[in-house]
Amino acid sequence: MSQNPEIVLEQADVVIAGSGAAGMRAAIAAHDAGARVVVLAKGPARATHTRMSGGRYNAVSGLNPDDNTDAFFRDTLDSGAGINDHRLARILADEAMDRAYDLEAYGLTWDRKAAREFSLSMTGGGSFVRTIGSADEGIGITEVMIHQLHVRDIRIADFHMLVDTVCDDAGRVVGALVLDLSRGKWRMFSCGAVIIATGGTSQLYETSSGPTINTGDGIAIGLRAGAELVDIEFMQFIPISFVYPRSIRGYTLTEPAHYGMRHYDPTADAAHLLNNKGERFVLKHDPVRKEGSTRDVLARAIMLEILEGRGTPEGGVLMMPDERVFGSFLRERPIYVKRLLENYGEAQARLQAPIQVMPSALYTLGGVRIDPWCRSGVPGLFVGGEAAGGVHGANRLGGSSMPDIQVFGRRAGMAAAEHARDAGVQPGQGLGWAKARAAQLETPLGRDGLRPVEVKRQVQKLMWDHVGLVRCGDKLRSTLQAFSDIRRSVLPQLAVTGRSRVLNREWMEMIELENMLDIGESMASAALAREETRGAHYRTDFPAIDPAWCLNLVVGRRNGDLDVRKTPLMRFARDTAPAFAAE
Amino acid sequence: MSTVHATVTVTAEILRYDPTSDAAPRYQTFEVKGPANMRVLDVIRSIYEGQAADLAYQFACRIGRCGTCAVRVNGTPVLACQEVCKPAMRIEPLSPFPVLRDLVIDRSEIDDRYAALELVPQRAVPHDGTPEPVDPKLALNICAYDSCLACMVCVSACPAVDERPFDGPAFMLKLRQMAIHPADQRNRLPQALKGGMLECFGCDLCTQLCPADLSPAQAIRDFRRDMIFGAPR
Repeated sequence: MSQNPEIVLEQADVVIAGSGAAGMRAAIAAHDAGARVVVLAKGPARATHTRMSGGRYNAVSGLNPDDNTDAFFRDTLDSGAGINDHRLARILADEAMDRAYDLEAYGLTWDRKAAREFSLSMTGGGSFVRTIGSADEGIGITEVMIHQLHVRDIRIADFHMLVDTVCDDAGRVVGALVLDLSRGKWRMFSCGAVIIATGGTSQLYETSSGPTINTGDGIAIGLRAGAELVDIEFMQFIPISFVYPRSIRGYTLTEPAHYGMRHYDPTADAAHLLNNKGERFVLKHDPVRKEGSTRDVLARAIMLEILEGRGTPEGGVLMMPDERVFGSFLRERPIYVKRLLENYGEAQARLQAPIQVMPSALYTLGGVRIDPWCRSGVPGLFVGGEAAGGVHGANRLGGSSMPDIQVFGRRAGMAAAEHARDAGVQPGQGLGWAKARAAQLETPLGRDGLRPVEVKRQVQKLMWDHVGLVRCGDKLRSTLQAFSDIRRSVLPQLAVTGRSRVLNREWMEMIELENMLDIGESMASAALAREETRGAHYRTDFPAIDPAWCLNLVVGRRNGDLDVRKTPLMRFARDTAPAFAAE
Repeated sequence: MSTVHATVTVTAEILRYDPTSDAAPRYQTFEVKGPANMRVLDVIRSIYEGQAADLAYQFACRIGRCGTCAVRVNGTPVLACQEVCKPAMRIEPLSPFPVLRDLVIDRSEIDDRYAALELVPQRAVPHDGTPEPVDPKLALNICAYDSCLACMVCVSACPAVDERPFDGPAFMLKLRQMAIHPADQRNRLPQALKGGMLECFGCDLCTQLCPADLSPAQAIRDFRRDMIFGAPR
């Protein structure tokens, strides 16, 4: 509306977008390195993806004498179908346990068998009993962390949405343009470094397990700032999610219910999965690991049954749970028993009757391309956690997101604090650009036109149908065409109905929609380019893995157009991270 | 499975208020048709999607974990995503907190209160990077307290908060988490007393309404026992 929107100027050393564990761990590290830190949360600080996690945490604790960090590294690469950034995978394996102890120091109490002995369990795709966890799950992890921010007096700004980074003529980050949704006011933080910790893109899909905030904002902001994305064609779907009721469709059903005795014993069978003909269809896809296979294989197997008409009327398949684990399931995860009871029934909650399950969009495997210190290609722009790509390759081990966000959250915080120290940013630098961008985002206010919520739904359906678990060239091309049509003819017609600037959800959704389109196009373009099947990426027209494709796709923007190019793998048997002053 | 397809029509009266422009709050009535087991959040979302594009409401996880969708339904504080809808509902923002707009409250003062309690283990010596000795059962108890969503349902429901100088059940529960944590060397009882622990009526309403199935009332009873008999450690 206004051609000259008012922007409140603020200053910080490091601005962190995202209040999940990656953002909070970055905040702790940056603060402890001497930086003035502000954490931006798009909603209330606790509305995060970490919060929703089961909190299972892969780390080599030393409690299983057969396991070691080399094995964790190898499992990560095996699961990632060999295209992980080896440096990042190595760091994950090496540092996960130290970060688990950090969490314990913060006050988290990992589940244990004895006073000094953590309980270990198996996880999807792993080859050793390795995974630790705590009964308070992602909630507990975020709670102990938020209180660490509080004792450090770190500012957490609720309802502050990062809209774009502000860069100088040399392309260096000098600030963050932020919409304070709670007041309907623009703010520009002049800062030496911005950390993107906004999580993933699960909301690009019709059925997803994540929180409603995960619209890929940070990844899109990185792309617009000139950073590159890597592995963005890989989206992880959790195979085992609730099918009904509508409100929780897609929410994950926790691995212990699915794993049965395999939770404790790698030689045991996981719960059998049956189609409507009573066939164990997973055996066609993975006769060796069967239902204990990796998440990508299981999710695709289930989706194919559903697509080919062998699912239930509600749109799922049947999981036959193992009643023997009910006692420990109830003890370890009572909330899931309650959830099964409320939504499915008592027999299902007691693991005595078949449970309907379906796949759901869970985790964005790709993201902004980073180096071992979470530096993107844009000076001053750092990325950690789910918004970053490369750690997990083409598929992620269950239980590896929790250590990822701790390990790389900390690294991002340390490196950003170091960078900000010498950045020499002047207050108000880039204000002219910020005003122009804000003015552009105000144009739909108060005019008549299409509602963002409807367009969002169209994008989610296109992504679910054609850029999801089952992909093919024709559909990817038509989806890209549809996205381009939406961008050209629909976006200019978007309107924000409400008159109030305060917590104007449609306004927020309009900004999210632009981010969703940027990322949806990137995902579809990379998926179209990768003419093979690997990990979470399945092409019906190229159904086999192709050794020639053992490489990464990098997506960037050249003069406004998407540019997809092949790059050789970052392959190092043992990482030696570049010398870095912070350590 | 049969209940999946039963349909109901519910009437929802929603308290609308924009402090930046409205003189006073007002109720607006909507009708929503949907599955019988739809949650209050489904009703609110449907109103936003189909009838009131300018409605301000908050949710994120839709599964009872983020704790940010708490509202009052017919006077009772609940998580909107967990509460099954009723035929006639009056939906209001969570009191006694400041309203940003419509159903959304400003939670910053809540976190200021948490911050003042310094809810991190105050250690005699730094954590040494090996498993901390904690009895497995005690670890589970700590985890239970650490599962508190900070949703403020209990604080909103508490009659003592309404009438007396009492911070509320959720804050007592978090203090209790610290009190039983073996690494925390600080005496948390004075903080609980300062927060108004003795003002609790013992009505147990907090326990009945807690969406995480926790008992803040028991945490308060434990503190009271410590006050009389001394803490066990």
